[in-house]
Amino acid sequence: MRILLVEDEAPLRETLSARLKREGFAVDAAADGEEGLYHGRELPFDVAVIDLGLPKMSGMELVRTLRGEGKKFPILILTARSSWQDKVEGLKAGADDYLVKPFHVEELLARINALLRRAAGWSKPTLDCGPIRLDLSSQTVSVNSQGVDLTSYEYKVLEYLMLHAGELVSKADLTEHIYQQDFDRDSNVLEVFIGRLRKKLDPEGELKPIETVRGRGYRFAIPRSE
Amino acid sequence: MARRALSLHARQLLAASLGLVAFLGLTGIALDRAFLETARSNLRERLQSYAYAYVSVIDFDRDGQLIPLPEELRPDERFTRPGSGLYAQIRGERGLDWESPSAVGVQLPAPPAFQAGRIHFDSQPVPYTDDTGQPRQAYRLLQDIVWETGEVGQWREVNRFTFSVLEDTSELSTQIDVFRRALWGYLGLAAILLLLVQMLVLRWSLHPLRRLERELLRVQRGVSARLSARHPAELEQITGSVNALIESEKAHLDLSRNTLSDLAHSLKTPLAVLRSRLETEANHDELRRELCMQVQRMSEIVSYQLSRAARSGHALFAAPVEIEPRAEEIVASLEKVYASRGVLCEFDLDPQARFYGELGDLQELLGNLLENAFKWARKRVLLTVRGEAEAGDRRPGVCFIVEDDGPGIPQENVQRLLQRGVRGDERVQGHGIGLAIVQDIVRAYRGELEVTRSEELGGARFSVRFPGLS
Repeated sequence: MRILLVEDEAPLRETLSARLKREGFAVDAAADGEEGLYHGRELPFDVAVIDLGLPKMSGMELVRTLRGEGKKFPILILTARSSWQDKVEGLKAGADDYLVKPFHVEELLARINALLRRAAGWSKPTLDCGPIRLDLSSQTVSVNSQGVDLTSYEYKVLEYLMLHAGELVSKADLTEHIYQQDFDRDSNVLEVFIGRLRKKLDPEGELKPIETVRGRGYRFAIPRSE
Repeated sequence: MARRALSLHARQLLAASLGLVAFLGLTGIALDRAFLETARSNLRERLQSYAYAYVSVIDFDRDGQLIPLPEELRPDERFTRPGSGLYAQIRGERGLDWESPSAVGVQLPAPPAFQAGRIHFDSQPVPYTDDTGQPRQAYRLLQDIVWETGEVGQWREVNRFTFSVLEDTSELSTQIDVFRRALWGYLGLAAILLLLVQMLVLRWSLHPLRRLERELLRVQRGVSARLSARHPAELEQITGSVNALIESEKAHLDLSRNTLSDLAHSLKTPLAVLRSRLETEANHDELRRELCMQVQRMSEIVSYQLSRAARSGHALFAAPVEIEPRAEEIVASLEKVYASRGVLCEFDLDPQARFYGELGDLQELLGNLLENAFKWARKRVLLTVRGEAEAGDRRPGVCFIVEDDGPGIPQENVQRLLQRGVRGDERVQGHGIGLAIVQDIVRAYRGELEVTRSEELGGARFSVRFPGLS
């Protein structure tokens, strides 16, 4: 999942950035509104976390501009002001959720996951496709209630595919949404991950959860159970 | 530089004086006119009566000569006194026939052309020369008479002559002068008296304003805390409002002061806990847990006190805020944030309902009540806003009801929920600060908060009622 983090306060930005990376996000951090807008225009984000009090361009303005340019990814705003006036204004500008500072990082992560889920059209924190269940909050995967042990990259690939179950996901999409910018995109490491996932989820080869669409990408083939 | 507005006193005095002067001036002019008319017609009548008196005794002898008028005929003494200003003369076709003794040495003007039977009063004075040779002016009455002499039925001679009576203008002028002096003298006196009375009345009726000014000054200097109640009915609204303003200002000040001291005091407890933990040798994990807990507590305290400080509670002069659009805004926001829970919010809003207070307070009230409901609801939230009927000048009250279909709050817990301490630090724990903020707003606007079970939805029902104000 690629996340845009716009926060001017360096210690908070760095802590959050490190934590989000640890949680498996591809993080692009910006220190002011203009930089945030630049990233927002250039990269395909899955979610954005934007502080309202930003230098150069206010968070409210940034949200409004991104929405005005047709960006659809969910946006969570961070604000030091807890008044309803600010909340209402932020949500009207186009944000999808807000969090008042100071907050628990766990709370932020839960909200981000909920937003991602909602944006992909899932209403529960667990994604169920046939016998395969992916729990977004605990980041665990099970097949027929049997836990499956996945590496963090394997999990991220599966999470992205399952969130978009039924949709075609190109290789470029997957790489962009999962890896940091500095990742070597030319390697065919992605194919290796997909191969391993298939083996781990479907050792007998009966479910065929991940379909390869030749030359175009992959599709999670088991329909949503909701 | 902007000119200073005229004082009330000056305005009143100016208006009254102008009105008085205009009224008395017009009255004077009208009286003057009327008097002139009367004096002139009196003059005419007097001259006419002199003429009749003389004409009645005029006679001619057989030769057609005027028989001299008897000496004792004197309708007025002045006809006998030379140069007295009152003259009479009879002028026939052959020239002057007779003139009164007063006209000796006086050159009277010749009468205009003869017209039989004419009685004529000149509208303008005619010039003449008096016995000392001075040119003067006189009012003149002419009577043209035809006299037949000789035996009746036989031989006749016809005499035409004009009888003139003149009175010097000085006579009338003197009368008019006397009248005018008296008239304008009395009117002037009346004006001065009326203005004096007016000034006194003004001082008397503006006295309450001056007293109000003095009282305000006393309040300003801090000598007295509020304005007294002894003011005329017209000023009661103002003094009442000023008193309310003073009180709300004071309450606001108290609130700020209390908020500040509450904040400082309530931060002391977690700080004390932290210090004691640091001083006792607790292990690393325990210390970390405690630190987390106390930081959480402190941040809750700070946000609660911040939201408290932001509130005004100035219900007095607040413009009415439309409730409907605000409520819709907040519900739209909450539906966005709680989208994943699939909670549906139904409205029953009175579009006429108004909240008389700060917009921010309304948003906090609705936001916190509704967020609470969204948190606990299973599927449904119901927001009802009812405005009381308007009655005359009275500011109508308004009622907010938020219901949900969640687990509700057991009656025995309601009291505990609402009475959770008086100090901010005790209130903020556990149930979040939302309800504490709601309670603060309700108190600031002298409203009532009631927590019951919703009959319709089965969950909690929060009802907030703000009374009307007269």
